[in-house]
Amino acid sequence: METLTMEPKRQLTPRRRPPTQRRRAVRSNLTAYGFLCAALFCFAMFAWWPIIREVVLSFQQTNLVDEPTWVGLDNFRTVVEDPAFGQAWRNTLVFTLLALLCGYIVPFAVAIVLNELRHARAYLRFVVYLPVMLPPIVSVLLFRWFYDPGPGLFNQVLDFVGLPALAWLDSTDTALISLVIVSTWMNLGSGVLIYLAALQNIPGDLYEAAELDGAGILKRIWHVTVPQTRLILLLMLMLQIVATMQVFIEPYMLTGGGPENATVTVAYLMYQYAFVYGGNYGAGSALGLMLMIVLLAVAAVQLRLTRDEKR
Amino acid sequence: MKSRNLAILLTTGLVLSLAACGSDSSDSNAGGVKITVACQPAKTAAKQRKAWNDDVAAFEKAHPGVKVDSTDQQPCFDPKTFAAKLAGGQMETVFMVPVTNYTDVIAKKQAKDITGVTDLVKNYGDIKQDVRGMVTKDGKVYGVPNVSYSVGLVYNRELFTKAGLDPDNPPKTWSEVRTAAKKIAGLGDGYVGYGEYGGGNVGGWHFAQSIFSRGGEMVVEDKAAFNSPEGKAVLQNLHDMRWEDDSVGSKVLIGWEALMQQMAAGKTGMMLGAPDVVTDLVQKFQGNVDAYGITGVPEGKASLTGGEAYMINPKANAAQTKAAMQWIDFQFNTPGKGRHDYARGKANGEAVGVPNNDYMGDSPTGRAIVKDREANAVLPTENYRFYVDTAAGVAPKLEPAKAQELYAVLDVAMSAVLTRENADIDKLLADAEAKANTILAQG
Amino acid sequence: MLNTTARPEAADETRAVAPAPQRRSRSRTKRRGAWAEGHARTIVSPLELKSRWGRRIYWALLATVLAVFTLVFVFPLYWMVTGAMKTGEEIAQMPPSLFPKAPDFSVFADAWELFDMGLLLKNTLFYAVGAWLFALAVDVTAAYALSKLRPMFGNVILGAMLATLMIPPIVVMIPAYITVTDVPIFGWQLLNSPWAIWFPVAANGFNIFLLKRFFDSIPNELLEAAEIDGVPPWRVLVSIILPISRPILGVVSIFTVVMVFKDFVWPLLVLPDSSKMTISVGLSQTAGQVTQNQIMAGLVIASVPMIIVFLFFQRSIMAGLTAGSLKG
Repeated sequence: METLTMEPKRQLTPRRRPPTQRRRAVRSNLTAYGFLCAALFCFAMFAWWPIIREVVLSFQQTNLVDEPTWVGLDNFRTVVEDPAFGQAWRNTLVFTLLALLCGYIVPFAVAIVLNELRHARAYLRFVVYLPVMLPPIVSVLLFRWFYDPGPGLFNQVLDFVGLPALAWLDSTDTALISLVIVSTWMNLGSGVLIYLAALQNIPGDLYEAAELDGAGILKRIWHVTVPQTRLILLLMLMLQIVATMQVFIEPYMLTGGGPENATVTVAYLMYQYAFVYGGNYGAGSALGLMLMIVLLAVAAVQLRLTRDEKR
Repeated sequence: MKSRNLAILLTTGLVLSLAACGSDSSDSNAGGVKITVACQPAKTAAKQRKAWNDDVAAFEKAHPGVKVDSTDQQPCFDPKTFAAKLAGGQMETVFMVPVTNYTDVIAKKQAKDITGVTDLVKNYGDIKQDVRGMVTKDGKVYGVPNVSYSVGLVYNRELFTKAGLDPDNPPKTWSEVRTAAKKIAGLGDGYVGYGEYGGGNVGGWHFAQSIFSRGGEMVVEDKAAFNSPEGKAVLQNLHDMRWEDDSVGSKVLIGWEALMQQMAAGKTGMMLGAPDVVTDLVQKFQGNVDAYGITGVPEGKASLTGGEAYMINPKANAAQTKAAMQWIDFQFNTPGKGRHDYARGKANGEAVGVPNNDYMGDSPTGRAIVKDREANAVLPTENYRFYVDTAAGVAPKLEPAKAQELYAVLDVAMSAVLTRENADIDKLLADAEAKANTILAQG
Repeated sequence: MLNTTARPEAADETRAVAPAPQRRSRSRTKRRGAWAEGHARTIVSPLELKSRWGRRIYWALLATVLAVFTLVFVFPLYWMVTGAMKTGEEIAQMPPSLFPKAPDFSVFADAWELFDMGLLLKNTLFYAVGAWLFALAVDVTAAYALSKLRPMFGNVILGAMLATLMIPPIVVMIPAYITVTDVPIFGWQLLNSPWAIWFPVAANGFNIFLLKRFFDSIPNELLEAAEIDGVPPWRVLVSIILPISRPILGVVSIFTVVMVFKDFVWPLLVLPDSSKMTISVGLSQTAGQVTQNQIMAGLVIASVPMIIVFLFFQRSIMAGLTAGSLKG
């Protein structure tokens, strides 16, 4: 963001007498705001106001028809006392960690391998990104069928290679990881391609130099590839965290939060409050506010790390 | 792309955006009345949809000047959007509310007071007193009930025969259910004796149905009452059927449709359900019309009441209210017409004959409807006689307060016994009780 | 990394090296391991690659990667397509058949009917095209104003727009939904209206950021001449800026269209009417009522438009992705 302010002030016209200049400035500002007004409207109504409204709503109770009433911390008490509250945070956290493991380290490794290959690059890039293009509902419904304990693909494959069947979505042990698998499958491609682009920007002579110093392949990765892509890696870390913390469609379509709340996530619980439990928008907003604060904290940490990195 | 084309494109976008501000659609229907009505059958049920459209046409013809628009949102009462649709003026003039939501909708003044115009529904007085009572608050009437039933046990008669059971002697107790389920599951791979939900809020819902049938309670005086011998029996029975008999299948069913689909596929023996389940199995899920029978809920100590009423948008004006009431009268409350046109239903291959509604009780209209229904019955009505015989004697139960939250809590217990062999039932119930009490205490 | 500047050649840097090995591979027979050269230097050096073991490992790795990728990313889709063409019996059969015994294409017609695909696709296309036009119009004008007209508080506004990127939409789902049911001040009621999709899509800080950065890199001298001639700003935008901004407009367009096509929760909430639903929501609503092979047929139909878009706009999409990595 800093780069935006670094540009020199534009000086279009030679300096003239102050009054004219002021009039010109007013007119040019008017024109500029004329161009901006549509965007300002959209942002004000659908980006900025909802953020403010979330804070307000979390202290209110409303049925959308009557005037909202102020209820102090009641909504927060409601959600904190919710039996699924702790579980939802724990699940979201575990989901995020697992998704990072699968969705952060794996694509980086895959990208490194892909970057070394000299053949079939276009095909591989196309294929890895294919699931990303599919609407998530397609992936989710497809995997719902794969996970079917009977004729589902996964258990059939396990059976074929002589392994015992798994319960997948139907066991507290495997349900969450099953969701991570779907989520990874449908998102892996974007990570891979972003890393691939970053890898292609590493100057080749760095590797040459490392090689001359006698560095083996692993050392070259550790001493050249990783430092050279560190900024992107940091950025992706935050993007991944933000993306996985909003996990919703997977539990919504696949498990309904079960079994035994093993897959309830914060976003899912939020939806339950607002749209299943008879319109408790206040409690839902309270949860949303908590999630927002956590995400902002993550963003702040990331920003800090990036800044240190740039120095 | 040429720059000129780009410019045209951008201008179109801007014009579009400006047009939005000015397009406040005004539905001034010169001289006529326009109403929107909910619950048109989905496109997947083509015949029923055509029948509905024919009804709309017939109604419009009989009431010149009235224009009826139908909406086919599925499910036709959607708790997710109900409040917002109403607040935003998107609610239909005539909308359906399930019995679960009567109290809430009436308390929030989301339905019109129709006390003065109930006579527009000619047979209103014939509706059973206790059913009318549910839509009446402080002497004011807020809706026209037109479906009422209680939960029973739906079973697949063909599978009973196949498994060597007598379809004319369906299970009367839970232990008989268990025995029968084991036999049906023994038919082979993919056969499920007794289907049950394990999540998505319907698990808890069926827990409530089961505990009521055993004479237990969900909530007594704002305290959870399900941590009782009856509650334990519900979970223990389900656990044993899952892990000792392997007769409930290994897939955890989430969401109302999952079990319906499984039942309609013809390899599931029994499930808890009201008679409307039979109708849906046949019509929505393409189940085999001849296969399904229904009997009273096992043990039969009490049974969860289901049903629905049509209510009118509080923002409707007098003319619209009148037309709306006429529609409700025409479509849902006249023997031989609309919903009660059983001759047409028969021709359309519906499961006519299912005793899915006794809201009119033993009144003249009620008798006319039953007579008509039986005259056009597609199925031997004795498939349902066990239900009819017992239903009248079973005490009706309303859903508990904060039903959805409690169901979510009980989903945990239901899914636990269905997914873990070592599930500790006492602990599950104690946990659920504590959680439920917290929820109930929040008022 | 900077392929979102006015210098399109920068965006091509990474691509320039990619086709090279393919051209060379044709003459592979002439010189062993010639493919190892003519490629940008990566971790492994051409010399290492050309060594006997280097070649062996390379080919083994290539074969493994090809096999694994095909299995992981293509096979599920194959399973989806063939699953659709199996009968109800065959699809539930254990063990499953690898090929449908009697491929039944009529299931696609059934699924088209049952899911009402015509309507769903039409709706989704309408939302996507509308969102594209509207978002482009709104975001381009805004980015132009912020980049070239530089009004007072311009940087504050930009900062506020970018700040919204830190807060993912699902977090503010509830208040945004309430806003849609009753837009403040204006009192509009946007439930079931396409504007419920279009307005929020236009409020996209990332698009503005990309566009503004691109506009920033356009030299001011180009515009000053026009300004001195008294050309009004909108003409400057249309006839000078836009023509040279095609690459970035392509990226933003693709982003927007793909986003609308893929979105699920938001249309689920704001377009509940079954005649207004998007394809994703429509699929999820009907999937519970039809058979497994019909669901798969529905999924196939829903995937086709996106795969076509991908085939045609692969370049823009991949370029956009790298631009995406600059977010923040």
